[in-house]
Amino acid sequence: MTNNGMPQDLPIPARSLKSTNAHSRRRLRAEKCFRALGVSAMVTALLFLLLLVMSIVSNGLPAFKRTIMSVDFVLSQEQFEEAEAALLKTGVYSDFFTQSLVETIQALDIPIEVDQGTINRLLGKVGSILREHYRSNTDQLGQAVTFEIPMASRVDRYYKGTLSREGISSNNRFIRASDLDLADTLREAGLIRQTFNWQFLTGVDSSVDNPGGAGIGASVLGSFFMMLVVLVLSLPIGVAASIYLEEFAAKNWLTDFIEVNISNLAAVPSIVFGILGLAVFIQFMHLPQSAPLVGGLVLTLMTLPTIIISTRASLKAVPPSIRDAALAVGASKMQAVFHHVLPLAMPGILTGTIIGLAQALGETAPLLLIGMVGFVARYPDTILAGFEGPNSAIPAQIFNWASRSDAIFAEKAWGGIIILLLFLMSMNIVAVLLRRRFERRW
Amino acid sequence: MYDASHSDSDVVSREYKISARGVDVFYGDNHAIKEVTADFDDKTVTAFIGPSGCGKSTFLRCINRMNDTIASARVMGEILVDGEDIYDPQVDPVQLRARVGMVFQKPNPFPKSIFDNVAYGPKIHGMARGKAELQDVVESALRRGAIWDEVKDRLDEPGTGLSGGQQQRLCIARAVATEPEILLMDEPCSALDPIATAQIEELIDELRQNYSVVIVTHSMQQAARVSQKTAFFHLGNLVEYDDTGQIFTNPKDPRTESYITGRIG
Ligand SMILES: Nc1ncnc2c1ncn2[C@@H]1O[C@H](COP(=O)(O)OP(=O)(O)O)[C@@H](O)[C@H]1O
Ligand SMILES: [Mg+2]
Repeated sequence: MTNNGMPQDLPIPARSLKSTNAHSRRRLRAEKCFRALGVSAMVTALLFLLLLVMSIVSNGLPAFKRTIMSVDFVLSQEQFEEAEAALLKTGVYSDFFTQSLVETIQALDIPIEVDQGTINRLLGKVGSILREHYRSNTDQLGQAVTFEIPMASRVDRYYKGTLSREGISSNNRFIRASDLDLADTLREAGLIRQTFNWQFLTGVDSSVDNPGGAGIGASVLGSFFMMLVVLVLSLPIGVAASIYLEEFAAKNWLTDFIEVNISNLAAVPSIVFGILGLAVFIQFMHLPQSAPLVGGLVLTLMTLPTIIISTRASLKAVPPSIRDAALAVGASKMQAVFHHVLPLAMPGILTGTIIGLAQALGETAPLLLIGMVGFVARYPDTILAGFEGPNSAIPAQIFNWASRSDAIFAEKAWGGIIILLLFLMSMNIVAVLLRRRFERRW
Repeated sequence: MYDASHSDSDVVSREYKISARGVDVFYGDNHAIKEVTADFDDKTVTAFIGPSGCGKSTFLRCINRMNDTIASARVMGEILVDGEDIYDPQVDPVQLRARVGMVFQKPNPFPKSIFDNVAYGPKIHGMARGKAELQDVVESALRRGAIWDEVKDRLDEPGTGLSGGQQQRLCIARAVATEPEILLMDEPCSALDPIATAQIEELIDELRQNYSVVIVTHSMQQAARVSQKTAFFHLGNLVEYDDTGQIFTNPKDPRTESYITGRIG
């Protein structure tokens, strides 16, 4: 391959760095194509995300508003005693209220005929609100009290734009078109307005007789207790298992086998964990059904592989020179791990844990199997009951609402999704912050 | 001249600081150290030289049992420190490593403050009672590491923020903070520039007053500059071990000669 083997008179191509040959043109074209492809993929993904967020927000935001009527009302001592002595106590309360309201409205000089039936169709459950208030505030008997009574769910939907006048048939026994005329007039008079729906955040699930009053509060609490169980069990178990596997266990076929199986566990569908939980925790160990404790145990099984995998990855990422440094000054293996390796691995461990928890928070399928999807009409009374009493969880509650027939529940389901996403987002932000806080260079 | 402190009488009943007796090391089936027997003096700098992969680091790591951390490594034979076999089952390698300090090829300070880097060893060995005493220990270690003047005003800053040469001297200070008797150094200057190297070499010369130093080096000039004794390893064998001057001027083994004249390695 020396010069004398080659013909000397080959024409040397004029090479300029500015001219391109076919080869480099092809390469440039390929590069451009790839960039265009990448950009379009990103744009598509963003569009989908935007679509998702927009539909969630537009469908879910109405759940955070509700229509109320604020009314001044006076209940006398005699009326109170009469109502408390009656058989249908709340009914009597609500009769007193509607009578008074009819009079108030008639005094407004509105050319629409008002009767108690109209009022009953317009308003939600009045009696129980009044009774609750007066039983705990007997000193307010005989005085004027301003009540904010939630409107019936159909009126609520009418003002949120999800129910139109034309959609109301003449034989609808819940609402009539003429009722809406009255409502419109009262709205102009300032009696009816929309406010923030605290009830949705703090309330419990409710049945068809008061669909507008359904809230997600109890299920949030259920999810909270579940996450507590998951955190308390899966973080120490997962981290201990990872430290042992990564730092102490001999590397042999047994640990290899365990490692492969842990990775496989992370890919097992969650419903499998659900049926396992049903069989082991409920049918075999006789733990209570529908309890956040059991839900937490099942979700712990699901979260453990995630935590173990991320913990082992972050332990592996700590440079061995740090371990050597610690051992060389006479630290024991355990001191080297706990004083030096673990603090460096902490950001990764915490991120993995939070992501595992976030996954568990949004998990629905296993909860269906252990019965955490029931109708939860009250908060737990004690902390113990919070763990072992029947409850639901946010995603299960959403599932439950989405499958109900009353249209107001669809709005609640979307609202629930907003709540769930807010929780997930704040958990992810916490993960990022923790990461920043703990991150150190070496 | 290196043993000027010894009188003629104790040359006879000489106590060596480190004695290796028929040491073999295997990594799985790889026979990395073959039947090495040698004695190393106290308060002396001994240099290990030899081509890459000849087992210098492996043998060095035997002396503080760092090979224990390598799953595939098996060490056979005896290594005596002050006459005691450190591979005796009753010996706790953790205690051994407090007495046999080690400095690594790449500076590896903990990602903590300069103070904490040095204070860690004394802390875990309970060598200082109270904060004031710990501060004294840290200061004296940093002085022995010849880095005190450079860092005394920023002990709270991270050790990883120092320059490479400073980091390596910090690591030496960290190693001497536990009051070891032996200091092992595995190519401590290979990641450093010439000026930092000169500083470390000067430091090694001072450390000889108090410690026996074993240093692995790739540079024959360095071995000639800092050591009193030199051991030449080749393919796992200890080929020649003698006074440094002897090895470099009048090697007995042809392999040693080839290596120092640059024909192998
Ligand atoms: N951790 C290890 N695992 C397996 N083999 C090793 C390990 N460290 C070193 N060896 C082998 O042992 C022999 C000696 O290596 P080493 O002591 O690092 O040589 P040197 O420091 O002289 O360059 C080499 O063959 C090397 O491949
Ligand atoms: Mg080496």
